[in-house]
Amino acid sequence: MDPQEYKYYRAHTWVKVEGNLARIGITDFAQKQLRDIVFANVFDDSEMITAGTALGSLESVKSTSDVIAPIDGKIVEINAKIFDNPEIINQAPYSDGYMVLVEIKNMEQVEALMSSAEYAAMLDQAGK
Amino acid sequence: MSLLKYDVAIIGGGPGGYTAAVRAAQKGKSVILIEKEQIGGTCLNWGCIPTKALAAGAEMISKIRHSQEFGIETGPVHVNFSKLMDRKQRVVEQLKAGIEALLIKNKVDYCQGEARFIDDRTLSVSNVDQNVRIVNARHIVIATGSGPALISSLGYDGQRVITSNEALMMSSIPERLIIIGGGVIGCEFASIFSILGSKVTIIEMQPSILSTMDREVSQLMSGLFRRQKIDIVTRASIAAVRKEAGKVVVQLENGKEVEGDRVLLSIGRVLNSSGLGLQEVGVEQGDRGEIIVNEQLETSVPGVFAIGDVTGRLQLAHVAATQALIAVDKICGITRSIDYAKVPSCIFTQPEIGSVGLTAEAAIKKGYSIKTAKFSLLSSGKAHAMGETTGFVKIIAESETNHLLGVHIVGAHASDLIAEGALALELGLTSERLTEVIHAHPTLSEAFLEAAEGIQGLSIHGVN
Repeated sequence: MDPQEYKYYRAHTWVKVEGNLARIGITDFAQKQLRDIVFANVFDDSEMITAGTALGSLESVKSTSDVIAPIDGKIVEINAKIFDNPEIINQAPYSDGYMVLVEIKNMEQVEALMSSAEYAAMLDQAGK
Repeated sequence: MSLLKYDVAIIGGGPGGYTAAVRAAQKGKSVILIEKEQIGGTCLNWGCIPTKALAAGAEMISKIRHSQEFGIETGPVHVNFSKLMDRKQRVVEQLKAGIEALLIKNKVDYCQGEARFIDDRTLSVSNVDQNVRIVNARHIVIATGSGPALISSLGYDGQRVITSNEALMMSSIPERLIIIGGGVIGCEFASIFSILGSKVTIIEMQPSILSTMDREVSQLMSGLFRRQKIDIVTRASIAAVRKEAGKVVVQLENGKEVEGDRVLLSIGRVLNSSGLGLQEVGVEQGDRGEIIVNEQLETSVPGVFAIGDVTGRLQLAHVAATQALIAVDKICGITRSIDYAKVPSCIFTQPEIGSVGLTAEAAIKKGYSIKTAKFSLLSSGKAHAMGETTGFVKIIAESETNHLLGVHIVGAHASDLIAEGALALELGLTSERLTEVIHAHPTLSEAFLEAAEGIQGLSIHGVN
């Protein structure tokens, strides 16, 4: 079950608001699609993430996928644990397997994201 | 004092100089090649070749470490560093002997010593015994190269704070190696020594390592280096390098400190254009000391040419060698030029990187409307068979015409695969034309075909 208090983006990423910060990761649906993640990368050559563009990439045994930023933000922290143990993204996508913590640039952008129910409906509609 | 007369005199025996010497001799010219230190120049003695000999050792270690995946069981891997270095030196010596034989075969006179212009057709060459020879030539080619920047403010002492030159002569593997500068040389050494067992930290001023490469290349390499436990500190300015008992401390402007046993400076190279008497004969130079040349590599003094690093262009052995051939052609009355935009470059990290043409970022900046296609080696059967699925082939093409603008490869044998990219760019091929070329199966070269197909949205095995 996707956490109800989180917000969701159509490219299967989530946002957890913590004051003026946002924790970001991939959804349970996304980690299941990828299967066993063997390599996690966060693009730290820019200090900012931009909604709709890649903030990092994940490689599983079968494919490489970009992780698309759900909102704009300034990177405050990168979860270094996912570099050494990328499997934690499979094991705990909504907690220890988060990717970055960012400073929120635009709260309205966060509020406009989907609720867990809306995200579930989107997956349903897509027959997923 | 003896006076020697030649058609062509070449100063510097690196890949530019000796190539010029051999080609001029092939064309029937009488040639003398003057070298101050060792035949082969930086490339053979302090650059391309010795580092690749070490990189090959590092690659072997990696393969042994992953051998269990193949069901091959070994005992613990022990690196005998002095034997690894001995092998590197044997490779260098063997290739040096090869060049010497080439010079003899082509009847090039070889002269050890330091050359200086007396006038625009005459050089004095003095060797270590202070014997002076006077060389008169109808054409003179300056191919004196470059050397690592020895920056004393960063504590360079050749012992604990070193350049790539001393790194190739180390007697042991440093436990902690700090590399200042995350460009090509820094990253190659980082890759090698991290595999050999050093704890490596790269300190880079730019927001990323390999910042001149295509952004997706540098992003992937940053991630891969992180996985190899190489620490990368970016956007870093250095406040001071302190030498303390048993360690060197690099202090950053932001107050942070990095400790190591050795510091390798890889922050650029200085051009070897001083001490040649260039000003006296009127050879024009730029701000960095680079010798200004025209498209045929002729300097401001007719009959005097300059090739290689000293021209301040791309500091690559194959550029020097290409320039050498163009300069010799000019001496022989044939006018050609080099297109620097189509020069391939390779980085021998693990995995390797090969690149030619524009990066996506540079293409957009130049006003091109572009399409890109990336084929992951995860979708290559050969890469799976080899157990080397990390990397990709990325093609950048002009949107309307599908003409290739750039090719960027990360992965096993990327340095060999990029040759096809260079060919495609040189011939001005479109992605459609490329896809008509049959690529053998199962090979890594199929990844190039798939990326070209991807430009048309027609990759069979990849994501379109």
